[in-house]
Formats: sequence, C-alpha cells, structure tokens
Amino acid sequence: MTSYRVSMDIGGTFTDIVTFNEATGEFRATKASTTPGQLSTGVLGGLESMIDDLAEIDFIVHGTTQGLNAFLERRGVRVLLLATDGVQDVYHIARGPRMRLYDAQYRKPEPLVERKDVVGIAGRFQYDGSELVPLDEAAVREAAERAKREGYGAVAVGYLFSYRNPSHELRTREILREVLGDDFTVSLSHEAAKEWREYERTSSAVIEAYTGPVVRSYLVDLEQKLTARGVEAPLHIMQSSGGVLTARSARERPLQTLLSGPVGGAIGGEALTKIVGNDNLIGVDMGGTSFDVSLVVNGVPDVSTEATLEGLPMLMSIVNIHTIGAGGGSVAWVEAGGLRVGPRSAGAQPGPACYGRGGTEPTVTDANFVLGRVDAENFAGGQMRLDRDAAVSALESVGAKLGFGVVEMAEGICNVANSQMAQAIRTITISRGIEPRDFSLVAFGGAGPMHAVFLAKELGIRETIVPRFPGAFSAWGMLQGDIRRDFTEPYYFLDEDIDTTDMSRVLRGVETEALASLESEGIPAADRSAEHAVDVRYLGQEYFLTVPLESADEPMAEHFLDDLGARFAKAYEARYGHSTLGAPIEIVTLRTRVVGRLESANAFLIAAAEGPEFAHEIRKVIFDGQELDTVVTERDALRAGHVFTGPAIVIEATATTVVPPGFSVAVDEHGTLIITNLELGSEA
Amino acid sequence: MTSTTATAPPVTVDPVTVDPVTVEILRNALTSAAEDMNATLIRSAYSMIIYEGGDCVVALLDKHHQVLGQSAGLPLFLGNIETCSKAVEEKYGRDVWRDDDVWILNDAYIGGTHLNDVTIFAPVFVDGVLVGFSATRAHWMDMGGKDVGASMDSTDIFQEGFRMGPVKLISQGVETDVVELIQTNTRFPYQTVGDMHAMIAALRMGSIRMQELVRKYGLDVIEAARDEIFRQTEELELERVREIPDGVYSAEGYLDNDGITLDVPIPIKLTVTVSGNQIEFDVTESADQTQGPVNCGVAQAISALRVGYKILVSPETNSNGGSFRPLTVKVREGSVLGAVAPAACQWYFSHLGMLIDMVSRALAPALPDRVAAASHGDSMIITSAGFDPRVGRNWVSMEATLGGWGAWEGADGESALINNVNGSLQDFPIEMVETKWPFRIREYSIRPDSGGAGRWRGGNGVIREYEFLADGVFGLWFERSTTPAWGLFGGDDAVGPEVVIDPGTPEEFRTLKVNARPAAKGTIIRLAVGGGGGYGNPEERDLEAVRYDVENGFVSAEQAQSDYGYTHDVPTS
Repeated sequence: MTSYRVSMDIGGTFTDIVTFNEATGEFRATKASTTPGQLSTGVLGGLESMIDDLAEIDFIVHGTTQGLNAFLERRGVRVLLLATDGVQDVYHIARGPRMRLYDAQYRKPEPLVERKDVVGIAGRFQYDGSELVPLDEAAVREAAERAKREGYGAVAVGYLFSYRNPSHELRTREILREVLGDDFTVSLSHEAAKEWREYERTSSAVIEAYTGPVVRSYLVDLEQKLTARGVEAPLHIMQSSGGVLTARSARERPLQTLLSGPVGGAIGGEALTKIVGNDNLIGVDMGGTSFDVSLVVNGVPDVSTEATLEGLPMLMSIVNIHTIGAGGGSVAWVEAGGLRVGPRSAGAQPGPACYGRGGTEPTVTDANFVLGRVDAENFAGGQMRLDRDAAVSALESVGAKLGFGVVEMAEGICNVANSQMAQAIRTITISRGIEPRDFSLVAFGGAGPMHAVFLAKELGIRETIVPRFPGAFSAWGMLQGDIRRDFTEPYYFLDEDIDTTDMSRVLRGVETEALASLESEGIPAADRSAEHAVDVRYLGQEYFLTVPLESADEPMAEHFLDDLGARFAKAYEARYGHSTLGAPIEIVTLRTRVVGRLESANAFLIAAAEGPEFAHEIRKVIFDGQELDTVVTERDALRAGHVFTGPAIVIEATATTVVPPGFSVAVDEHGTLIITNLELGSEA
Repeated sequence: MTSTTATAPPVTVDPVTVDPVTVEILRNALTSAAEDMNATLIRSAYSMIIYEGGDCVVALLDKHHQVLGQSAGLPLFLGNIETCSKAVEEKYGRDVWRDDDVWILNDAYIGGTHLNDVTIFAPVFVDGVLVGFSATRAHWMDMGGKDVGASMDSTDIFQEGFRMGPVKLISQGVETDVVELIQTNTRFPYQTVGDMHAMIAALRMGSIRMQELVRKYGLDVIEAARDEIFRQTEELELERVREIPDGVYSAEGYLDNDGITLDVPIPIKLTVTVSGNQIEFDVTESADQTQGPVNCGVAQAISALRVGYKILVSPETNSNGGSFRPLTVKVREGSVLGAVAPAACQWYFSHLGMLIDMVSRALAPALPDRVAAASHGDSMIITSAGFDPRVGRNWVSMEATLGGWGAWEGADGESALINNVNGSLQDFPIEMVETKWPFRIREYSIRPDSGGAGRWRGGNGVIREYEFLADGVFGLWFERSTTPAWGLFGGDDAVGPEVVIDPGTPEEFRTLKVNARPAAKGTIIRLAVGGGGGYGNPEERDLEAVRYDVENGFVSAEQAQSDYGYTHDVPTS
C-alpha cells in the first residue's frame, strides 16, 4: 500500500507542499495559492492535487504563519493584562529606549494592549521567590468577571519574580478558569518565558495571548478537516526553535509556533548536513523584498534565546535568522551623486520594471534580466512575460546620472546588492567569531541560487550547494525534523555559591518532566533523548554564552566548576577574542532540550548519468562586462554524476542558479548541485 | 573668545578615480564594520551601563582622524572621538604610532566629556604603513573620585577621579603598567578591567576589518572612495541647510543651578544664523564656567550642537568625515560650554541635553513641521552605594530615569523615554535591580498630567519609588525645574521633576540634587520625572483624543476639564 509523508509550508503568496512517497522513494513539490482568510482551504486544495486518497498520509507536518500574520496585521484578540500592582505600567513603559537616535519624533513600538486594559493585582515576591504580599484573589476574580462582561478574548498574566515562584500566576489561572471556563485562553508569563526581566517576559505572554486563540482555532479547524478526509496521522507543527510539535502541544503553547514558517529553511539546512557531509552550513534565502541568513553549526541550527517582532520582545528559543532588506525587488537610486540599492523594494506592485506593471525604477531583478541571468521564457513557470525594453530604460534612467551604460549599471546594481548580502553573512559569522570559510553556502528561495555563488566568491567560501527543490526547501526540511522541546530553569548563582548536587537534582527533575512530555507526544522510550546546557557569564556581565553539559549528573563530577569555567573561557575566547580563565563566573539559566526521534524520509535519489552529455543550449550572458557563451540547462535534464563548468545557468520552475566563470558544478546522487570555486580547489 | 569651526580639514583630491559601485560597497562595509565592533563591545562588557545602557560608541578613522564609519552609539559621542588620536599626534608627533600599540585617554578637556568616559584607540597598520585608527569609548563605573561612582558637588576635576593621557595601554602587544594603575585607582578593578578588555576586543575587530578592506581594495582606492563618500554626505547636508529660510534665530534656557550654589540658575544662550547653505551656532553668550560640575570642554559643546543639527538636517544617515561641513560653531573659552582646567565636569551633559532641544526651539519658526517641543531634558540620575548583607558584598548603583518627550505637528509626544543624550539606554528591569541591589521598587508608573497640554499633547514622565532594604548612601542629580520642557506654537510647558524622600512621614523632605546622603534601611525615595512640551493651542485638540487620554489615565478628568474644557462621562455600568 502506498503511504506518504507530507509537509506544508504556508507563505504570503504560495503554500509549498512536498510529498514523499514511501513506496517509490519519490519526492514531489508543488505550489498552491495561499488563501488568506481561510488558510486551510488552500492547504487542503494543494494536498488533494498531489495525493488522491489523503488516508494514505502517515506523517504530516505544517509550517504555519497564522499567528505571525495575526500579529503583523494586528488581527489578534483583545487581551486583558494582569500585572503586579504598583508596577503594572511596566508593559507600557517598555524600558524606554529610543531606537532611532536622531529622531525627535520617535514613537515606541505599538503595544498590543491599551493601558486601560491593564489591571494591577496585589501580591508580591522578593527576589528569591519568598512571598512578601499574598495574592489578592478577590481582585483576580473581579478582573475575571470584567473579562467575561466586556468580552475579552484572552488574559495575559505577568507578575514580578514568577520565574522564581509561579504560585501566584498558577492560582490566578485557576480563578480565571473558574469564571471564564477551561477553554478560555490564559497566558502566564512564567510559562511563556521562564526567565527574568519582567517587561520582556510580560511581552512574551501578551503576544501569546494575543495570537493564541487565532492559532488555536485555525489548528482545530485544520485538524477537523484532515480527519474528515480520512487522515489519521496526527498533525505536527513546526516550531520557532526548529523541531516539530504535535498540534495538540502547539495549541497549549502557541507562542512556540509564531515563526513556524521562516525557520523551515534552517531545518532544511540541518537535514542537508547529513546528505552533503558538511556539518557547517550558511543558509541564504533571497526573496522579493528580503534576504535571510541562518546557520547550521556542527549539524545543529543556530538558536537564539530571544527575538523581537516589530520592536516587541519575546523570550523564547528561536532559530537565529538575520534579515536585511535586499531582494529581487530592491530599487537602485541615486542620492547626492552616489549609487544606492534598497532597502526600499518595488514589492509586488508595481514590481520590477521588467514585470511591465508600470514600474520605472530599476531593481535587482531588472539587472539580472538584462544581464541574461533570468530566463525570460520560463519566468514564474512561464506565467509572466518579461518586458526587456522597460528594464533597459529603467536602468538607463539611473545609469545616465552616474555615467554608466546599461550593462555597467546592471552589473553595478548586482555587485552592490551582493556586497550588502555578504555583509549580512559577515555580521552573523565573523563578528561572532565564526569563520565563514569553514562553511558551505546553501542557497534556496526564489532568488537565492541566482546570487549565492557571487556571495561565496566574495567571502572566500569554497562550496555552494543548491538543494533539490530550492523553492520548496523549507517544506522539504520540515519532513526531516524531529520532535523537540526546550525547557529553561532560572538558576542564578555565583560559582562559589553553587551547590552542584542541587544543580544536578534540578536538571534531573527537568529531564524527567521533559522526557515524560515526549511520551504524551507518542514517542516510544527508545527514541527519546535529553541534552543539557547552562548559560554562563563572568561575574557582573549580562549577556551570556550557552555552554553544553555532558549530562544532568555532570555537575556532581569532581572539578566540575573548573571544567565548566574552562569550557566557558574557551567559548568566550572564540566569540570575543579574549577571556579571563579563572575569573569568577555566574550561571544564570539551566537549559534542557529533549528530542523525540521521528522516522525521517529516506534521501531522494536521482538516476545516474549514462554519459557526460546532457541537454543544454548555449546563450550569451554577461559576466564582468563580457558577453560569454554560457551553458543553459534545465535542472531536470541533469543526472547524478554530471559535471560542467561555469559560466552556466540552471533553470527550474521555482528558481534559477547562476554560475559565473571560475566555478564548476557537480550533480550528486540526490540531484544536489555542488558548485566549487576552482581557484580554491576541491577538498583534499 | 575662541571661534571653533566643526569643519574638517580640506581633503587633497586623490588622483585615483573610483567608480560609484566600489564607493557604495565601501560605504556599506565601513558602516557595518563599525556596527559589528559595537555589538562585540556591548555583548562582552561587564558593566550594566554598557550592556544594558549602550553608553558607548565605536568608530573607524582614516589616517587623518576623519570618521570613516561610526556606530549609532551615544549621540553625545558624535564627532569628538577623533580628537583623541589627534591629541596624541599633537603631543608626540606623527612618528609615535606603532603596530600593536593601544592607547587610552579620559582627559575631560580633550575628550570633552567627564572622566568616566574612557576612550581606547589604536593605529591600524597594513604591511608597516599606517592606514587609520580604530577607536572605542565607553562609560566606566568608577574612576576613583571622592565619591563612589559620581559626585554631585565636586568643585574641581581632581575630586572626580584620575585623569589619563593620552598614554599607552598596550605597547608592542604587551599590557603596560597603566593597567596596574587603573586597577589600583578604581573601586571596581575587576569590572573595570573586564570592560577594558571588551573595548580592546572591539578595537581588534575593527582593525581586522579595516586591514581586510585595505588589502582587498588598496589604500588609494579606499581613500578615493572616502573622498567621494564625504562629498556625497556634504552635498546632502548642504542641500538640506539651503532649504532652511535665511535668518537669525535664537533660544535660551536655564539650568537650575551648578549643584553648589543652589539658588543661581545658569543661563545657556544660542544664536543661529542661517545664510544660504551655511549655518552657524553661537553659544558664546552662555554663562561663565561654574564652580560646580556642570562644565564641559569645547569638543563636547560641538558634539551637542551637532546632535541638534543632525536631528533637523540628516537624522537618517550614519555620520562620517563629510558630515557637519555646513556647520560652524562658536564657543567661548572659559564658559560652561568651553571649560578650562581645573573646572569640575562630572555633569557635563545637563546643559547639553537642553542645548539640543534649544536648536529645535530656535529653528521652530523656520521648520515648524520638522521640530518637536522640548523633552524632559536630563538623565535624572539616582546613585547608591553600601554593603549588601544578603550577599556580603559592597554594591554601587547608578540609574537614569525615563521622562516625557515633546509633541510635534501631527502627533502627541511619547511617554516614558530616555533623554536625548542617552540614546538607546533602557531602564533596568525591576527583577534585576532587586536581585543585584538591596532595594524594593514599590511603584513604577506613568505620571499622569505631567506632559504639557496642546493640540498635540506632550508625553508623560514616570514615577519610580525605591525602598532601601539595607543601610547605604544615595545621590541625586535631577534637573530642569527652572526651565521644564517648553511647548511650541501655543502648546503648554510640561510639569518639571520632583523628588520626595520619606513621603508622608515627619522626615519628609524634597530635593533634586544631593551628594552621598546616608539612607537608613527603610528609607523611601520617590522620583517623579517631568513630561514633554505640548504643540499647538490646546483649544484645538480633538476631544476624542482627550477622551482616550482620560480613559487610559494619561490625563486626569480634572486636568482634562481645566486644559481642554472636557467633561468626562463616567459610564454608568
């Protein structure tokens, strides 16, 4: 019997769907139009176009932007915020920084809750979690009645020191549920983010409360529709930290799914490490308006412990994605006689000049087109005719101001855009002590493969990888994910004050609880594992580095603190170029991650080449001002073992790979393009 | 009288030509190199004022000390970091620079700030040739002055701590005895040396990035690109200044006092002359330098005026050596804005924050859409120190307090923001404060009715109330009660600051400035910071906006009645 593993990644315009036929080993990818308003319609439509009988699905994973869109479009529910009495303005004060220093007309990020919707609740803990003032239960009950009476969609609770002592927040939820019912959304700050800093923690809880009901009703709706169509496999959701969750867990903790969509690429990178044999990858995803960089280091996606969304902070484990405003739609313009590219984008309307929708400013896409690097015949699957005259005249209009001809102008725009993207890669590698030359570059997204080889050249990176289905790479990556859950436990001590036996006991407690949570996700014991790490810094510092532990029992080992100090000093030296071995250290937070291994789809194999020849044509394409004879081929024409050298262009439905002179392309057995800088040689 | 211009030295035109693409690539590369240096400094610093407060700046300079790239950083560090390497050359000549040397300086009359602002900088060499400088400046918590952290009543520079330099911190790759001297003279050697190493790490990153660029493009190309980058910046600013109507504009304001003679306000006067594409700021009519610590060096006055200029002329771009060329600044030596040794300089920025707003006040008739009414105006500092029995260690704290900002055409001012000289400084989380220091924060709230009324309302300040949980001492530096944030075009002035100690008890007293005052366990200090000024006639305010303010508690019902003639219907539910 046929069975399928399926992933669905919803984007703004298209929903990518990837299916893996477990019987034949075949992967297929398709794009369905995203249906705003009723996303499940588009998702199901796309699925049904790929698989006749949805009952044949035995694994299904989903990257959803439902929560993110609700946030960005400010379509979340009305939230009532309960906060510690006397300091309940913390959320609106928002710590008070001015992020644009020379703007006397600066405004703070727009909060999600109005000030009149904040209720101060008496009850207070000291810094160590001991109770100073008991919880005012009557005030909580009154707030609950108000939420009911005035029709609030959710309640967020953010009390001081709840990360040390959650009892007031937990009791508050009990009371709220008594009045509002068990299905009412209550987001507690210590559950949204078990870390100190009350504003950031409260903000996390508010974002969860604001978007949670929207995510929840979407998931319930989708699950019901899938069940109605005979899908028995539980729905899995991609989470912001990488890894997947069951939809049931996601409904309880919807914050974890907020950046579910964008992280897919990093997870794809993680899966790719197993195929290409390099554990260190830089993922570059270029679309119409933005350029995203993510890292896989030692086989694991690089994760941060906090992020901001339109200026509002969230404390949670999240795949680190560095984004700049550079994309195919970035506009080239002249200021004071100097060339600028972006950050403004022509967007979808009017779009690049070559779209012929009335755009008159030259964009990066126009430049690529005029240079011959875009296949005019098959652009967007042949659905759109590109207007060469419009592109040329847009380039001329800016080129004239700088004394450039059309070709010079076009290459200039690409070079400036490439240098900006290369800077973005430097920012998340070199400036953090990571050497990019030890990495391979992975290009995906619509425009990534068009620029990636140029970026690799600029950065001295030897190898660029273009995976199969670069346009649906995120969806493909999701199929390779494991269940993953992150737990934090605040544990703030100076090294000389640490009771290592207690530290071990706490870690083991978290591990037991965390592994048990995997059982409820349906993971058999043999496939569960836990790993631990600790956030460490020098005494007096604020920022920390996360240092891995060998096990929950390691703290009881002899010389543990010395070992930890040395491990930390080594990591610090690598990151900042200096360290103070033996200086007092503080530990701040214990981190536990549990992984439930899921059976992943076997790697896809393509047919081997029968000879060195493959179907291609020769076209004129411009590189470095020279019109060169260039190999132009369809991706589907390539077989495992084919090798050729640039200049070359590889065309497929969702992406175009551009290979300048000086690079060779090899096709591996998975259909991956491995592009090597000939000057830097092949791997020894 | 000294006339000081902020104009850079004329650049010799380089014969190498460079294409616009390379120029733009280098412009981006230099800015991003500076921002990456800054990230390194902030993330590896040991002091809260750097890692939470961002009280620091980094820059890459060319070999003529002109800024190639600078992090956004603290606004008041704008345009004077380059004075440090220049000072070395003036003293020792150009041959003094050696590879693997690092220099340090905190002299207030050279750097222009207070002794706590320490600049560490290094020459950058490629193949034995000096190509430029990497520089970083950050606030150090304690420079060994007469009081822990900072004094509110110092009367000369010697009471404020030790003064360095410029001297070598690292010679040929080896730390010099200066490090030992620093450790001996600060009350917090461990933290201070940690911050020092973070600054050196940032420098190193800057040097490496600059060396990479020089190796890749060649020095002649970089210098030609530099000239073009500066030319573009200059041209943009000349265009913007030309748009300002010609004329003579002026503004004045008063500091409450110098911290010593509490009943004598300190006048600050600014005259702005706009003529074609040139603009002149003249502050020579301001007060003579004072006995108390509200003085600053000329370099710092120039920085503040550059900030005021930048807000109106070029807010969106990072500064470089081509910035500020249309601007001339006149400062009088011996005035509070051009102090000479041994003037006390600890609170060098209180008049500077006001001066920044005064530029907007002066030019309001010319640029009504671009200006904003005044902000609360100063850092509103509380310091404390003592022995923390919970951990058996000494503590020292310094915090700035947030206030309201001015309204402008089209919008209300923002509430609870840091003041203009402190950039992206954030308040310290209550959970961090109570964990690290023996305090309880009893109240932290937005202070209603503190913003000035207007068609567009000024933002509100905050209230922050502390209880001491151990015996200690505290200091206060609160300003701007004599000239609270002013309104514009008929908008009202804001309410100023107010501090009450032990409110509602027989010991209650009010003050705005106090130095090292003992505080027994249980002492309560209630800080109330002022709001921002209003913009336009309050009678023209949309009553729907007033209703929103009353419902959300930004304006009380009584104040809404008296300012706007608005009566709030209480819902009868």
